[in-house]
Amino acid sequence: MNKSFFAASALAAFSIGSAVAADEIRVLNWQGYGTDLDWAVAAFTDKTGHTVVHEYFNSEQEMLTKLRTNPGAYDVVLINAAFTPQAQDEGLIGPIDASKISNIADVPENLTGNEDLNAGGALHGVPWTWGLTSFAVNTNEFDTMPSSIEVFWDQSHQGKVSIRDDALEAVQFAAIATGQDINNIENLDAVKEKLASLMPQIKTYWGSENDWNQFMAAGDLSVATFWSGSASRSMSAGLPVQFVVPQEGAIGWLDGLSIPASSTKQDAAHAFIDWMIDPEFYVKWAAEGAPASANAKAAAALPDDAFNKRVLGDPEVVARVQFQRPVSDEDREAYLALWQELKAAQ
Amino acid sequence: MNSRLLANLGRLWLGLILVFLYAPILVMAFMSFNASQYYQLPFEFSMRWYEKLASNGEIIDAATRSVLIAIVTTILATTLGTAASVALFRFEFRGKRFLQVMLFPPIAIPWLITGTAMLIFFFGVGLGRGTPSVIIGHVALALPYVIVVVSARLATFDATLEEAARSMGAGGWTITRRVTLPWIAPGIIAGALFAFAVSFDQFVVSYFLSEPGDSTLPVLIYTSIRKGFTPEINAISTIIIVISMAVMLFAARFSNFGGER
Amino acid sequence: MSTVLAKQDRLKIFGLLSPAYLWLTVAIFLPLSAMLYFSFLSDVPFGQKEWFHTTENYKAFFTTPTYSILLWKSLRLALMVTVISVFIGFPCAYVLAKTIKGRAREALFLLVILPFWSNSLVRIFSWAIVLRGNGILEVGLNAVLPFEVDVNLMFSTPAIVIGLVHSYLPYVILTSYLALQAIDDNLIDAARSMGAGKLTILWRIILPLSLPGLLAGAVLIFVPVVGSFMEPRILGGRVGTYFGTVIEDQFVAVYNWPLGAALSFVLLAVVLLILAISSPILRKART
Repeated sequence: MNKSFFAASALAAFSIGSAVAADEIRVLNWQGYGTDLDWAVAAFTDKTGHTVVHEYFNSEQEMLTKLRTNPGAYDVVLINAAFTPQAQDEGLIGPIDASKISNIADVPENLTGNEDLNAGGALHGVPWTWGLTSFAVNTNEFDTMPSSIEVFWDQSHQGKVSIRDDALEAVQFAAIATGQDINNIENLDAVKEKLASLMPQIKTYWGSENDWNQFMAAGDLSVATFWSGSASRSMSAGLPVQFVVPQEGAIGWLDGLSIPASSTKQDAAHAFIDWMIDPEFYVKWAAEGAPASANAKAAAALPDDAFNKRVLGDPEVVARVQFQRPVSDEDREAYLALWQELKAAQ
Repeated sequence: MNSRLLANLGRLWLGLILVFLYAPILVMAFMSFNASQYYQLPFEFSMRWYEKLASNGEIIDAATRSVLIAIVTTILATTLGTAASVALFRFEFRGKRFLQVMLFPPIAIPWLITGTAMLIFFFGVGLGRGTPSVIIGHVALALPYVIVVVSARLATFDATLEEAARSMGAGGWTITRRVTLPWIAPGIIAGALFAFAVSFDQFVVSYFLSEPGDSTLPVLIYTSIRKGFTPEINAISTIIIVISMAVMLFAARFSNFGGER
Repeated sequence: MSTVLAKQDRLKIFGLLSPAYLWLTVAIFLPLSAMLYFSFLSDVPFGQKEWFHTTENYKAFFTTPTYSILLWKSLRLALMVTVISVFIGFPCAYVLAKTIKGRAREALFLLVILPFWSNSLVRIFSWAIVLRGNGILEVGLNAVLPFEVDVNLMFSTPAIVIGLVHSYLPYVILTSYLALQAIDDNLIDAARSMGAGKLTILWRIILPLSLPGLLAGAVLIFVPVVGSFMEPRILGGRVGTYFGTVIEDQFVAVYNWPLGAALSFVLLAVVLLILAISSPILRKART
């Protein structure tokens, strides 16, 4: 507390002469997800005088809980587009003033016009990053990269397979494997059967990027579901892994930055979001391992061999992606019940 | 002789248990000197995590804050808990069983649920978040442990000792100070050590109730597992264990809280 | 006179108990009552959501086999961890209290509890490094043993038990130690001089007198292990799903606090019931 207090007051003293009031904004995000990079925050403070404090969440439900119970505490929040309508509906986030975000001009219309981000008829989340939930393989275990999701059910990898311990992700993964629409699963029994036959293959479930990296590094796994941004980070850290988008397709997600309706620092919050979609920021971030940028100019500015350009920039890959839509509470609970039943049977 | 052999076997057993208790601690320390970020073997000696730690103000701040909160929690919980245990031991009154049973909900209900309940309640009553709220929560979670541990020691207390002191003319306070407290001192010390451990490892309550930027070490560790925590965490944990060990051995040297010989 | 004393006693009782219990009431019992109330609602009463009173969440426990299967699994795990901890911890406490003398005892007493001061998650991950295939245990054993062994305990029930016993063992060692150390050595000597054998002394003197400590330790292990989910998840992998896991999921994966709360109160009720049933038996054993 003392430290940030001193930093803030020092900054306030420093900027007294200038016309811009320096605010301290609070950002609610996953830890280690772009907004809290030291150099990025420092550059933002240099540019605008505003300082940034972070708070983290470990699940989307927790993020919503924090917004509900802490009105006024946050100024910028990262929300997966599949949750934006719910946050908007509950009055947790306010509309975005696009005129305050100059870089938004470079975000393609199919993203700014995304139905979920425009919940309630106005833009409530600035498209920031997108990525895939697919899988990655340990390259020490494969001579040729698998092209089908069926590799998870391949007997020769029994006991070396992992998926994330997440009901929604597990169900949508199996929906893709059974050729269904992840947002409208008609045959849930087929999903259950497919997952049940996957269970004996599984060594463990993973919970976090940290688990995943440790399991892979220890050689416990040969194939496991993974997120594209995390995969690029693991690869740049030197792990022997390769991200695969199988012919059956993959789950796509879009993350937006929103401003809580209760924020009193609207200008600083808009300025921060503007910086977050700035190509200058993104290119530097992508070098460390990042998901794909929503800003077309930023994506284009990447070097040709960059993971996000090489894998996610391929139109054929993008054509196979099914983007996640909001999931109703009933479905979510049904998926959880299904997943718990399968896990309890182990 | 036979009992000599038995005593030596006993010592061996104690030694084995200590090895078991310290195995993961040693691994933790060992890995803080390993170069691999993903805890990969074979071992490759490196001081890089300690070097990184030295410049990581966030972790050091959080560790310092955790220690301070744990110390305050320990003092409060031990004092209140000991007082309550003495009352529960010495007096018979209506509702005593109930009060004893009420110690179990905080232990039995997973901290996640208790923490969530505290979060909504503290907001409901306007207490909000911040270090005072964190301490209130920690003390409450540590109290049942202190009471159970101190009561376990008190249960062995021979009330005739107090009677004897009284018959020799000692007053209430003198008896408490000279007879009762020395007897239960090992229990109080053990309770205090548990209270410290509960607070120092408490994640949920701190997580929900601390101010952003004011997090404690467990919060930092738990939130960083998503991205992956680095052996810097091992390094700081090793430093903390080494310091605590030094403090404890020093304290053991100059006091007899292990009980009379 | 006696009424005056009683009044004094009442004041004393109040003075000694009220700080601790007031604290517990404000910080735990009132919040938990709110949770208890939620467990009888159809949805959390925040925002504009519709909600009504219901016992559906408790019915769900009885109508969904998953929950009772997992609760049973958790209870068995807790029993196993408690029994193992008592069997390895009690002798250890005995040695500490009766065999070791002097300063060494104080130092050892502190050493037993010190591992507790490290972060539980870091400890669990350290166990993972020890137990996994090609991990420290396997490499270490193969370096010592003349033949090759294949030890991969990771992601199995034994791994969970090892991790949990490690986390909770100090409780039973310390509470047993506190009780054992209070037994007067003269009593044991007197019994011995009257010709009592070692087993008789253990069975007739040491065990009964140290039982309060032993039981306190056992309860402090059993009760939290029933609701544990972190150790099972990390060390158990595919087999690491327990009752605590499904409770946590209701809070973390879906926003169903009422069901999560109901499941935790079922857990609490079962735990208290077990303690209530076992306490007369144990009290009998003591006399």
